[in-house]
Amino acid sequence: MAQSTGNLGDQVAQLNAARTLVLGDAAFYPQIVNGVLPIVGARAHLELRRWGAEFLAETFSSPALALVQKEQLSAVALQMLRDTLELPEKDTLVLKHIVEAAASLYPLVFRHIINHPEDTAAWENMTAIKDEILRRWDSFPFPVKVCCIKFVQRVVQVQTHGVTDPRVRSRKDPQATQPVDVDVDHFQRPEQNETSLAIVPRNHPLLSLPNLEAEASGLLDRLLSALQEDESDPLLVNATLNSLSVLVRTRQSIGNKIINAVLSFVPAKQARTPITPAVRVGVKSMERTARALMVNIMRRNNNHPLASKMQQHIDRLMQSRQEAVDDSSKKRGLPTEPTDGLDNAKRARLEAESPPLLKVPPLPSGPISYAQLFTLTEDAGLSSFDVKQLPVDLLVKIVVPLLARVEPSTMYQAVDAIRSRYQTVQKQQAAQPPPAEEEDDDDYEPEYQPMDVAAPETEQPAQSTEPADLQPDLVSLGPFVLPQPPPLSETEAADIGRGAVGRVFDMLATSTTAPAAKGKGQQNLGFSRLAGSTFDRDAWVTLLTRLATRAPAGLEGKPDTGKPTISDSIRETLYRYILEDFRGRVNVGIMWLNEEWYNDRIQMKFAASQRTEDDEEPSVNIHYDKWSLRLLDGFLPYLDSRDTKIFIRFLSEIPEVTIPVTQRIASLAKDPERVNLCVQSLMYLIMFRPPAREMCLNAVEDVYQTYEESRPAASKVLSRWRPHSTVLEQTLVTRTENQP
Amino acid sequence: MAYDPRLASAGTATPDPPPPPPPPPESAMAASAEAELADRTAAASSQEQQSDSYKLKFCTVCASNQNRSMEAHLRLSTASSPFPVISFGTGTLVRLPGPSINQPNVYNFNTTSYSQMYEELLAKDERLYRNNGLLNMLERNRNLKWGPERFQDWVPGMPRVDHVSKGDKGALGSEGGVVDVIITCEERCWDAVVDDLMNKGSQLNRPVHVFNVDIKDNHEEALVGGKAILDLANRLNEAAVQERRAHNPQGWENGTGEARSSFDEKVPEILAAWQEKWPNLPALWTLAWL
Repeated sequence: MAQSTGNLGDQVAQLNAARTLVLGDAAFYPQIVNGVLPIVGARAHLELRRWGAEFLAETFSSPALALVQKEQLSAVALQMLRDTLELPEKDTLVLKHIVEAAASLYPLVFRHIINHPEDTAAWENMTAIKDEILRRWDSFPFPVKVCCIKFVQRVVQVQTHGVTDPRVRSRKDPQATQPVDVDVDHFQRPEQNETSLAIVPRNHPLLSLPNLEAEASGLLDRLLSALQEDESDPLLVNATLNSLSVLVRTRQSIGNKIINAVLSFVPAKQARTPITPAVRVGVKSMERTARALMVNIMRRNNNHPLASKMQQHIDRLMQSRQEAVDDSSKKRGLPTEPTDGLDNAKRARLEAESPPLLKVPPLPSGPISYAQLFTLTEDAGLSSFDVKQLPVDLLVKIVVPLLARVEPSTMYQAVDAIRSRYQTVQKQQAAQPPPAEEEDDDDYEPEYQPMDVAAPETEQPAQSTEPADLQPDLVSLGPFVLPQPPPLSETEAADIGRGAVGRVFDMLATSTTAPAAKGKGQQNLGFSRLAGSTFDRDAWVTLLTRLATRAPAGLEGKPDTGKPTISDSIRETLYRYILEDFRGRVNVGIMWLNEEWYNDRIQMKFAASQRTEDDEEPSVNIHYDKWSLRLLDGFLPYLDSRDTKIFIRFLSEIPEVTIPVTQRIASLAKDPERVNLCVQSLMYLIMFRPPAREMCLNAVEDVYQTYEESRPAASKVLSRWRPHSTVLEQTLVTRTENQP
Repeated sequence: MAYDPRLASAGTATPDPPPPPPPPPESAMAASAEAELADRTAAASSQEQQSDSYKLKFCTVCASNQNRSMEAHLRLSTASSPFPVISFGTGTLVRLPGPSINQPNVYNFNTTSYSQMYEELLAKDERLYRNNGLLNMLERNRNLKWGPERFQDWVPGMPRVDHVSKGDKGALGSEGGVVDVIITCEERCWDAVVDDLMNKGSQLNRPVHVFNVDIKDNHEEALVGGKAILDLANRLNEAAVQERRAHNPQGWENGTGEARSSFDEKVPEILAAWQEKWPNLPALWTLAWL
């Protein structure tokens, strides 16, 4: 035993000497690493394994060792690490260093594989280590878990697209002692591009871009989950937060995702009861670390789009911590005050600061006088003392020093007491209408004691100098009329109008559709229902469409004034709102166009009725034609051959199909993919919309003639609905002519 | 049965539990730990020697690497069982008080030694700098290491073997240029350290606990702070040593509950317990990466 112990001690001493050698001169690393590995391998004594794992972690992270040498050494080290890990290794410290080493090796090996796709063994070992680490991540002891966070962060960093500097053509000899992953922005011209997916060739035999990217995305989610769980350990959260900065900085594609995860993380939520001092340390540290991360990001990129959100979040964090943790710490502070009598001075002072509670006698019931309102003393003699008996100059001599010496807290208490009395009286009087004047006098006269004020109330003397008139009505003020606001200019009014419209649109975004049950109830009402009677999204849409169409009708002058009107701006906004998602909002469009059409009719009718004999043709702004075409033009380009149902629904429910509309539909046939959509919609209109039948048939003929691809479908429609169409015959003729 | 009238006021409420025994002094705790150790198998005892000599590596940081961080550097590196320790400043320049508030003595980091500063101030106005304690401080510092170093210029993992040969205190054990614990002496410095570690991009993939112990920048407070930091260091190191023992396979069965939880996990509790003892030095902590 002693023998083996001695041997072990000697071995460790020798190993330490070797380490000192390489620390002194990095050139010895290859020699030492190769010499040391067999001694500290998977089956070595625990102490040696710990030493070995730590040494490898140090070697591959050392800024003193050149990358090219690290790359050369990685092959043997990978094998040894994999063997140790898969044995399986159970010691926390060995595991910890293995994961650290793996985190350093991963970018190194990844780059190696990019340039040497033939080295499958190295990649296989690296992947095996990665898989093993990821598999055991959740079951690892705590310190290893922490290191896994860093490992995963490295993997994510390597397996997402980074920034490549086009000036770096290919891999130059990486003699640089700086690690590869130093921020690109530290250097004017990087020696080589940072290791990332961006430098993986598309046709790499081992590295499949989509797979790697997908894996990275999954790992990032897992990494960020530490911030999303309800009960996270501050250790893991801090480790995560502190590892994220470099990802946000160098990986734009995932930056916002990370920042949003950090923004939705509220450390104060983690403050579970009981709030032990350790919990407080944890919450405070998470809050400060999150803040440090956001400050770091913002400092790097001043005009980050999320900067203002981050600033807000920082402020909120500060506040929430104060509420959740510091508050309780204040409460807890008191009992920890020494109570052994040594600290009497302090305690006495504390007591002195809490003022004696002022006793506030209740007011007598019934109407009261000012004097009673302000009397806080219960001493009968004192309250019946008439201050007016004293000369004014004497009074001043007494009152001024008294005011100076009065305890502020007592003063506040007294003022508060009077205020609350006053408010109660006010409420009482508001509740019951004041009785008639004479009655008042009757009630008050006997009780009225003009000068019954002499309590240690500081404002009393001032009060008492006033004529202590009886004022039964403390608060009866005349009705208050707001002054008229200054008139708005036309542009101001338009601005405000637009603002109001904007808010209604906001309501569309926030309000939900009506609950299903309610919706059904409404449908049952049939024609007797009222539009916009519930406050769901439909109601707001109804409101908006009518606001656009009916509200300003007839107020907006002649059609040719060319000024943008409020209703047009609503229309414009509605138009954009519908186009943002025309598939989902087609019913809004239909509703709107119906309103337009209806309004146009009403306007025309009204104009006709106003028309006098000598008037010229009545001119009415017609909106329906313009906006229906505009809407159609807006979404036609995005219409897809699968949108048949939506499109047909739109065409069937708009109030009027005009020739320009049919022409728009016909234009769909230009696109061979949408020929069927075009013919089917026209056929629908022919079948179910008799007023539009003729113009649709014309459109079909037109389509038939112009676009070859439409013929099979269109000829069916034509032969059914217009069997004697000249177009059909012509083509038949030309066909027969062409066939010899 | 005798009835104690004094209990009457307590009614049916349960009497307060007896106060917990006061924590044993550290020497006693070490002794009990040793007693525990004695029970272990011979195989484990071979580890013991190793584990007991295990030391966490520390780094102390203040603004100028002169007063607070150096006092802590002194304490840690000259403790009865000395810790490996390195120290830094986070300021842009080393600033020492001068004849008036707007005439500070300013030096560069990394290139000016404490001895140079000492000689210069001695020549300038010996009486002034003797009285305000600067010369004493520099005297102390130049016996600890060569000169003030800037945190932002530190490359973690860069070997510091030469510091051993220079005789820097605390250099033994910190040759690898890495540390397990960073202790700053001011929140501003903590912010700077955490921020700088993020900027450095954590090349080593090695976790590091970053503490702040808020100490006012004067000689008296620095003395108190140094003592408190040593206390914190001892507590942390004890947990780390325990971890090395508990997690070796032979000792696995022996460690229970608390003893099994790792050093890292215990840090918030250690800091909280420490804070109760040092309520006037508000502390802060995070786990960052070197």
